[in-house]
Amino acid sequence: MKAKRLIIRLLLGALVPVAILVVWHVASVGSVVVPPIGAVIEVLAHPLREPSALDATSLASGATISVLRVVCGFGLAAMTAIPVGLWVGRSRAAMDMLSPTMAAAMVISPIAWIPVTIIAFGLSSPATALYGDEHWRYGLLDQLRFAIVAVIWLGAFFPIALNAAGGAKRVREAHIEAARVLGATRRQVLAKVILPSAAPSIMTGLRVGGGIAWRVIIAAEIFPGTRGGLGYMITTAHEQASYQYAFASIVVIGAIGLVLDAVLRLAEHRVGRWQPKER
Amino acid sequence: MRASDQVIRFDGASKCFVTPARPEVWALRDFSLACPAGQLTCVVGPSGCGKTTLLRLAAGLDFPTSGRVLMRGRPVDGPPDGVGLVSQEGTLLPWRRALANVTLGLEIRGMGRAERRAAARAVLERVHLARDVERSYPHELSGGMRQRLALARALCPNPRILLMDEPFASVDEPTRHHLQGDLLGVWAADGQTILFVTHSIEEAVYLADRVVVMTFGRTVAEIPVPLPRPRDRLSQEFIDLLLLVRRAFTEHVDAKGGDA
Repeated sequence: MKAKRLIIRLLLGALVPVAILVVWHVASVGSVVVPPIGAVIEVLAHPLREPSALDATSLASGATISVLRVVCGFGLAAMTAIPVGLWVGRSRAAMDMLSPTMAAAMVISPIAWIPVTIIAFGLSSPATALYGDEHWRYGLLDQLRFAIVAVIWLGAFFPIALNAAGGAKRVREAHIEAARVLGATRRQVLAKVILPSAAPSIMTGLRVGGGIAWRVIIAAEIFPGTRGGLGYMITTAHEQASYQYAFASIVVIGAIGLVLDAVLRLAEHRVGRWQPKER
Repeated sequence: MRASDQVIRFDGASKCFVTPARPEVWALRDFSLACPAGQLTCVVGPSGCGKTTLLRLAAGLDFPTSGRVLMRGRPVDGPPDGVGLVSQEGTLLPWRRALANVTLGLEIRGMGRAERRAAARAVLERVHLARDVERSYPHELSGGMRQRLALARALCPNPRILLMDEPFASVDEPTRHHLQGDLLGVWAADGQTILFVTHSIEEAVYLADRVVVMTFGRTVAEIPVPLPRPRDRLSQEFIDLLLLVRRAFTEHVDAKGGDA
């Protein structure tokens, strides 16, 4: 009977995607803009092809660039936001000082910062920093432009920090005191009580920040003045009127976003296992 | 009693809390008490009489507004060494399994993993917790088991002083009796100085060498309990002492007319 339940659930889950495919197929008949499903699948099946419609780069390399940019920006955001968040959560002075600014900054779309980061960082990247004029030889490194990574950082930093602060603030005083009576130093209290206690909140912040980071990178790559990545491929394909490449990019973006969210949700669930079920 | 025998000492300690709701709450007023080495002292009092505050001062988690609190002759300026604290509930770390909770004190001291796990298992046996609860999380255990776990955690680093804040209050009566017996067993073997706070007169008379009656932040009576252990709760001597303690309460509450 459990198998029957599972099959029913899978069928229900498949209903909407199938409906979308049906609508897509109908729309593609006789349309110039909407490519046939078959054409899109054909593009997806050859991710290493380098068509002129995509500025002679492959779907696979575009995806790699976008993912790497997110990894860098999100990684930096996590490394900076978690300590800052914990500090703000535990220090009344820090909270009074930083919390209003962080709350205000969080509602500004990171895309709005792109002109600022481009002025600040220009076209500099790890490649220009390491290799100067020869930077163009080091494709991948050159694509990790600081301006773009900074925008991702701006998107992910605030949700991570605010969630970390919330988690740090909610640590039970009784737990801290129990550790202190057992002889814990301030550092040990941080490592053995505050961090594990705040970990589920931090994970929630990472999940939210990760989702934002993925959405921001695509938007940043569509923004004029940037090159490379899946977002850039979408605009290029549109310009070349090769819509099957644009649709294929969208499918890839959705798939990667889904995987990212699923992985972070799984991590969030495993970290939060010890918590009581009712909140 | 010589000063050097006084392991725990309160010297006219007072503690005032300022809250938004009420301007000045005196949890302790001029509280004085001396606990000699190896003695089991029970402080009995109703809720709100300052019992928890006095343990927090002894544990170094808070400081007196006036007067002094001394441990082994030295003023308490933070959690002192060699002191174990068992609270009523909710102090076990919920993200750690049972064994990891017990080893916390040794982990803080830097003891190696194998060594501290062995020590923890030995303590768990002494408080009669079966080995198969080792890998359970605290929320998976019953209230009685959690309190045994809290006791084990406090005992693991071998403290010479135990501070216990109504540790068995949230547990059902049969379990409470078992826990009291286990505590007495550990104490008989180790001889710690124990300061045990409770609102149950019966529990105090059952456990203590000496019962200290407390109301409204100060002591009103100290009653020695010279009965041999294990004690019979239904014996005449036991009941006489119960009545003695109860009388100490009613006399002083009536006399003071419930001043706040």
